[in-house]
Amino acid sequence: MGQSKSSPDQRLVEYTVDRVVDETNTDTKILVLSRHDGQSDSFPIWIGAAEGHAIKLALDTTLTPRPMSHDLIKSFMEHLNVTVRRIVIGDVKNSTYYASVYLENNGVERLVDARPSDAVSLALRTRAPLYITDDVLTRRNTANLESWLAKQEQKSSSTQQEVQET
Amino acid sequence: MITQMHLKGLMFDPYNNAYIVVLRDEEGHEMLPIWVGKAEAGAISMALENVAPPRPMTHDFMKSILDAYDAKVISVVITDLNENTYFAKIHLMYQDSEYTVDARPSDAIALALRSNAPVFAKESVLNKQSSEELEQWLENLKPEDFGKLDS
Repeated sequence: MGQSKSSPDQRLVEYTVDRVVDETNTDTKILVLSRHDGQSDSFPIWIGAAEGHAIKLALDTTLTPRPMSHDLIKSFMEHLNVTVRRIVIGDVKNSTYYASVYLENNGVERLVDARPSDAVSLALRTRAPLYITDDVLTRRNTANLESWLAKQEQKSSSTQQEVQET
Repeated sequence: MITQMHLKGLMFDPYNNAYIVVLRDEEGHEMLPIWVGKAEAGAISMALENVAPPRPMTHDFMKSILDAYDAKVISVVITDLNENTYFAKIHLMYQDSEYTVDARPSDAIALALRSNAPVFAKESVLNKQSSEELEQWLENLKPEDFGKLDS
């Protein structure tokens, strides 16, 4: 397990992007992360519809006819020979998560702040690992989360079915 | 030949349920409308109105990455128009070398505004787009179609 250089006392847990769920009541989506080591744990992050779409495109490895915003970021990085080492979700305030993107170019490391949706979108496109700090994991509120998520997915799949049937 | 273009405005097109970025040259002879999606319009509008969002939006994040390594956006050029789709190139300066990166015009303009970089259009693009036709179209828009960015 990698240790973050900027906060050596922070233990990091690796996660992977599991899926993007439609929130049926509002114009938002839920990004669901799951533990990389296979232990059962879902970590949801509420994101905007456009941000969710950008992540879905990368998850499904959909090739778009034109470079989307995060493809452009990736393209910049390829031109400048900058690589994404890892992204870390390292803070949460008022239910808002904060992410850091660790970049490297010829041994020069840089840290850039980002919204988790942008960080994850870029990580998927560059195959960079994704971590959440222990601190953030203990401070989140997960009561009844699994059952609520299941209900959301049921709802959105039944809506899709209705659409297909008509 | 390339012509420098200025962002004249951003408006809602109710017929296509999209937004139009209107670029115009200094003298007002040439006009270039570019249709963009809602998220892209939001990214341009925020830079246009100098709104500092509480969190870095996608193009702020894009610029942070370039800033982190001292890469500068020199200019943006709208290079081609093909079946109503515009193509753009972003010119970057990094460690004394110039790089050219393909982009959608909406991303290129959103980044140019945040970098104070000029936006140009190739003459061939301007010739393809008849501004007379555009003005007629703009005249047909009702006043209430303007300024609907928040909706």
